[in-house]
Amino acid sequence: MSQPSLVTEGLTIRFGGHVAVNNVSCAFNPGELTVIVGPNGAGKTTYFNLISGQLAASEGRVLKGGEDITRLAPSARAHRGIGRAFQLTNLFPALSVLENIRLAVQARSGHGWRVLKNVTSFASLTEEAKHYLEATKLADKAHMAAAALPHGDQRKLEVALLMAMEPDIYMFDEPTAGMSLDHTPDVLELIGKLKEDKTKTVLLVEHKMSVVRALADRIIVLHNGELLADGPPDEVMQSQIVRDVYLGSSGEDAA
Amino acid sequence: MTQDTTKGALFIKATVLTLGALLLFAPFLFQDTRSLEVAARICIFVVLVASYDLLIGYTGIVSFAHTMFFGFGAYGAAIALKKMGPGWDAVLVGTLAGLAVSIVVAIAVGLLSLRVKAIFFAMITLAAASVALVLASQLSDLTGGEDGITYKAPQIFKTATKLMVDENGKVARLFGVKLNGKLAAYYFVFASCLALFVLCLRMVGSPLGTVLKAIRENEARAEAIGYRVVAYRTFVFVIAAIAASLAGTIYAVWLKYTGPDTALSFTIMIDILLMVVIGGMGTMYGAVIGATLLVIAQYYLRDLMGAASEALHGWPLLPELFAPDRWLLWLGIIFILLVYFFPKGIAGTISAMGARS
Repeated sequence: MSQPSLVTEGLTIRFGGHVAVNNVSCAFNPGELTVIVGPNGAGKTTYFNLISGQLAASEGRVLKGGEDITRLAPSARAHRGIGRAFQLTNLFPALSVLENIRLAVQARSGHGWRVLKNVTSFASLTEEAKHYLEATKLADKAHMAAAALPHGDQRKLEVALLMAMEPDIYMFDEPTAGMSLDHTPDVLELIGKLKEDKTKTVLLVEHKMSVVRALADRIIVLHNGELLADGPPDEVMQSQIVRDVYLGSSGEDAA
Repeated sequence: MTQDTTKGALFIKATVLTLGALLLFAPFLFQDTRSLEVAARICIFVVLVASYDLLIGYTGIVSFAHTMFFGFGAYGAAIALKKMGPGWDAVLVGTLAGLAVSIVVAIAVGLLSLRVKAIFFAMITLAAASVALVLASQLSDLTGGEDGITYKAPQIFKTATKLMVDENGKVARLFGVKLNGKLAAYYFVFASCLALFVLCLRMVGSPLGTVLKAIRENEARAEAIGYRVVAYRTFVFVIAAIAASLAGTIYAVWLKYTGPDTALSFTIMIDILLMVVIGGMGTMYGAVIGATLLVIAQYYLRDLMGAASEALHGWPLLPELFAPDRWLLWLGIIFILLVYFFPKGIAGTISAMGARS
């Protein structure tokens, strides 16, 4: 395999006395979809926040394509190709669906500081935004306010927003949470398509085992902030340690 | 649906254009000094409110320091005109000095405190504005203290200046209006304020404007998709400060007097807040509507109530209720009714109407 696209080295964060993520070292490769599993409170979302920059690490490093990005702001990491979707729907609620996507396209294009020209004169931005709306089957709702969309479509918009950033690293945090079963396949299909591009790295936090089985090339297990297991899906699912964690027989509190 | 296509939005645009036309022809339509005073004040406040709306309505920044920047601009011009005499060089120096102070203070306040929570930022701006007010009254050698500064405007704006003369050497008239320096001064105010308002309008429609709205809607997500939020907030805070400072300079040149009451007091800050709320936050056109309504109410409500009180003479209680001294009570009632019936402000609420056409 080629050089890893994303590496965490001894990544640690403490909140007071509580160690939420403890010394996690892991490398992620292009063309690989890694699912991160673990019980509630295992530190999955915190680990994501350390990678995309919402939280600052207490110790350790995050490397993107060999560059140390541990101290960069989230916006600077976004410009270096780290795209993050959030667990709870996290959009620009009063803006239209099209404007939501156009913002992501515009952020990448660097036109955000243009002050005096009207947005509509940047036709290429709008065209590109429409392309992502079509890819996610949201084109007919382009002019609705994001807040007015049904929940399933909001989740799709979340995915579309991430795609519009055109990152190298896609990070999904429970993309199907709270979705009805008939909407779930749409989102999974979108994520599955990303895999086909062998230059992209996909990280996915997910609980539903059906999703994990369908998509994962590799599974890592976090438990109490520590990296417990790492390997191909079959191997990890079969391992005794993972069964213990999920069946709650490890004797530790899974707070 | 997007809001610019509704019938309500068209109605608001038409209203704003009408108000603009009325302001453009104000010296000819309302031929008395007080009306011209009102028209000029409306122009100035449109700029102040529009630039404040960039902060509160578009970006979600609550600042109480907007009058401080207005004051920097006004005092800059006032002090320069007083010390250097009435000339364009003094106006230029005053403008630049006011701008320089505004920009430096805005960057300092912005960078130091836009990272913190909104409520702390509001408190810091309140503190800064209080300091500016105290300084203006204490540094009386420079600012004239509580009495303020009286000075002369450039020659061309003097009432005695004849822009055009008729065959008898007297000041020429157009539709009965004297073509004198007062007229020139009004059009100086009108044109500069129009330019500043149009700049604000262009800004909110630009890519930058959409970033500001994104920050208002969801700051963390705006950062996550790649916008440096602190930089954008500081930038818009500086832009708003520049607009307020220029408005202050223009007002100082128009009034030929600058003091704490006309340029720095918290009463002005409250007026701006009321205008933004009445007009509609995040609408830009609301600035024109809010400023016009409130300034007219401040100038004419007393007269109107005096007339009402006279007319109701002989009725029990009513003349007392409408006595001119009670005008603030009625202004308060009108404000409460407006907020009740137009929760998004006049422009915001009406723009949302007729969406299903």
